[in-house]
Amino acid sequence: MKLNIMEEEEERPKIFINDHIDILVEILKRLDGQSLGVAACVCRLWSAVARNDSLWEHLCFRHVSSPPPSSVRPVVVALGGYKRLYMVCVRPVLSRLGDSGLVRRVWTRNEVQLSLSLFCVDYYERLGGSGMISSDASPSSLMFLCKPVNV
Amino acid sequence: MKREHPNPHHTHLNPLADASMAASCSSGAGSSAGVYPKQEIAAGKAAKMWEEEHQEAGMDELLAVLGYKVRSSDMAGVAQKLEQLEEAMCIQQDNLSQLASDTVHYNPSDLSTWLESMLSELNPPTSFDSVMAAPPPPAQNPPTIDESFLAPAESSTITSIDFPDQKKHQSSTVFEESSSFDSDLKAIPGKAIYSGTQLESSSRESKRLKPSSGSSSDLFSIPSIGAFNPANESSRPVILVDSQENGIRLVHALMACADAVQQNNLDLAEALVKQINYLALSQAGAMRKVATFFAQALARRIYRVYPENPLDHSLSDMLQMHFYETCPYLKFAHFTANQAILEAFQGKKRVHVIDFSMNQGMQWPALMQALALRPGGPPAFRLTGIGPPSTDNSDHLQEVGWKLAQLAETIHVEFEYRGFVANSLADLDASMLELRPSEVESVAVNSVFELHKLLSRPGAIEKVLSVVKQMGPEIVTVVEQEANHNGPVFLDRFTESLHYYSTLFDSLEGSVNGQDKVMSEVYLGNQIFNVVACEGTDRFERHETLAQWRTRFGSAGFAPAHLGSNAFKQASMLLALFAGGDGYRVEENNGCLLLGWHTRPLIATSAWQLAGKKLGATH
Repeated sequence: MKLNIMEEEEERPKIFINDHIDILVEILKRLDGQSLGVAACVCRLWSAVARNDSLWEHLCFRHVSSPPPSSVRPVVVALGGYKRLYMVCVRPVLSRLGDSGLVRRVWTRNEVQLSLSLFCVDYYERLGGSGMISSDASPSSLMFLCKPVNV
Repeated sequence: MKREHPNPHHTHLNPLADASMAASCSSGAGSSAGVYPKQEIAAGKAAKMWEEEHQEAGMDELLAVLGYKVRSSDMAGVAQKLEQLEEAMCIQQDNLSQLASDTVHYNPSDLSTWLESMLSELNPPTSFDSVMAAPPPPAQNPPTIDESFLAPAESSTITSIDFPDQKKHQSSTVFEESSSFDSDLKAIPGKAIYSGTQLESSSRESKRLKPSSGSSSDLFSIPSIGAFNPANESSRPVILVDSQENGIRLVHALMACADAVQQNNLDLAEALVKQINYLALSQAGAMRKVATFFAQALARRIYRVYPENPLDHSLSDMLQMHFYETCPYLKFAHFTANQAILEAFQGKKRVHVIDFSMNQGMQWPALMQALALRPGGPPAFRLTGIGPPSTDNSDHLQEVGWKLAQLAETIHVEFEYRGFVANSLADLDASMLELRPSEVESVAVNSVFELHKLLSRPGAIEKVLSVVKQMGPEIVTVVEQEANHNGPVFLDRFTESLHYYSTLFDSLEGSVNGQDKVMSEVYLGNQIFNVVACEGTDRFERHETLAQWRTRFGSAGFAPAHLGSNAFKQASMLLALFAGGDGYRVEENNGCLLLGWHTRPLIATSAWQLAGKKLGATH
């Protein structure tokens, strides 16, 4: 019995995705935020790949009508990175302002601007008293984004 | 003087059923009174079963007729408990001997504690509850029962105290409030307090909250408060609150009290304040909070109690932070003002913002980020923050400056900061600010909820506006409350502010959760205290409407600058993000943006430039 199975396995071409990180990245680029989060939990390698900020940058601005200017990236990176931007601002903004998450809608420039402004406020709040970033401080002014909508 | 937040109200109101249930459980476990109101309390099954078990055994018939089931054998125990209770009640009220004497005066400076003690009484200890669960004991002679039951209904004093019906048997006095209360209340013109006849009000009237047992109704007729509790309540085991009636009554009481204060009829006002506090308990949510704040403000005005020192700055900052986080008003103000400033600074290489309302500097990160990302790169950004002196030794203006500098470095914006401490904006002079020539540096002046404070001193606002003109700004952004709380007549101010803050509190109700919301309410409550309780230079919350500010700016030599559609769009988007924010509305009014709740505009952002100078034009 065992011999048969092993023979079958050898006949099939093996593609082990972890050998092809670039393909993995391409696939992950096309995922939505939640799936990307799930993917990050698969294994250590995937977690490292998913942590790559450029993936999240792609996610943030995937639906923007025109690509954001190049000056945006250093600012966002300095303020905490695209992953944080997505988690804290983009995702709630999209879900509140947009239709259901399945419908892909195009961001307007104003929405991008608003998200970035809120992100900046978030960074400022986390600065705390001495100018040091306290990582455990919750960005309270943005909590209104994360809280469920009250009927 | 921090207002005790009316949370105690909540805690005692709801679990009355539970409390009395627990009480009857415990009392059942003990030896004495196995007494229960006829009303079935929706509680633990075990307790219920225990109830039913004892229900038929030896009930007193007279009371059974009235709807109470008492075991005759337990009467003595109940009577004893009532005695204890009366003692307990008397001890807490200093000036109350027999609960049936003269006008009660309370230590005016201790209003909060008094209120608190009143409230804690409504959260009574277990023995109290078991007594409350007890129907009136038959006393010694059955006829007395009937008589006393009927008496209140016939009594013409609205303020007869009904607490507890049982007590009437103890001492045959019907607890009547002092006659002065009576006359005071009757003196109200148009019977604003009394509507309709005795009987009518008895049927509609209920200070009771939704009780699930008839007994809990008794808890609310606290003797010392001039409650109208005309009829005999014991025949009505279920009393549902008609809160809309009470809401109307509450508003009437508030207006009557304000009127009394205006006419300097302080005795009447005092009586009314107590009623207001009591009526407020029957309301829920925003109305209760507003009423309680206004009642306390009126009380402060009556007793002339108001803290001389303004709130410690760090405390007021903290309150404002919570207000910032809970509701969109401040964010709206900041975002719209920033948009105007951004547009005015288009193409400028060096910009200078003078902020009259520095506080925590929450407005500037967003502007700096927008400047950093603008096409053509960021300008050199200079910020001058003006704030009041801090009572502790900390230099909070500098701290804010450091944080902003840190942010500026992160996003690569050239940043310069100066903090200015001034007791009042009127102390400022343009020369102090070290302004650079206008070809080098463009100036914007920003004021969020600060200008109205200048109206308490004559001439101050004119001076400040002329100083602003001297600064030669490209744009002046002003955010103010959209209300007239600065009229000469106290009653008008009171009415206006009542409507305004009711709307404001309504909008807060939709926001989620605990501490932030409470702090925001305290923040607004402090404003209420100032508007209602203070006069003269102490009263600095002198809000005026957009139209009034337009006139002022116009006569000072400013021309309106229209806020563009970008600002409108950003504001609308921002509001859409807020939880429970369906009621917020952005309106445009001749180039100014107003944020309101449903139909009522609450704050207004406007932008101004020097008259005769076009934005962006070269001379």
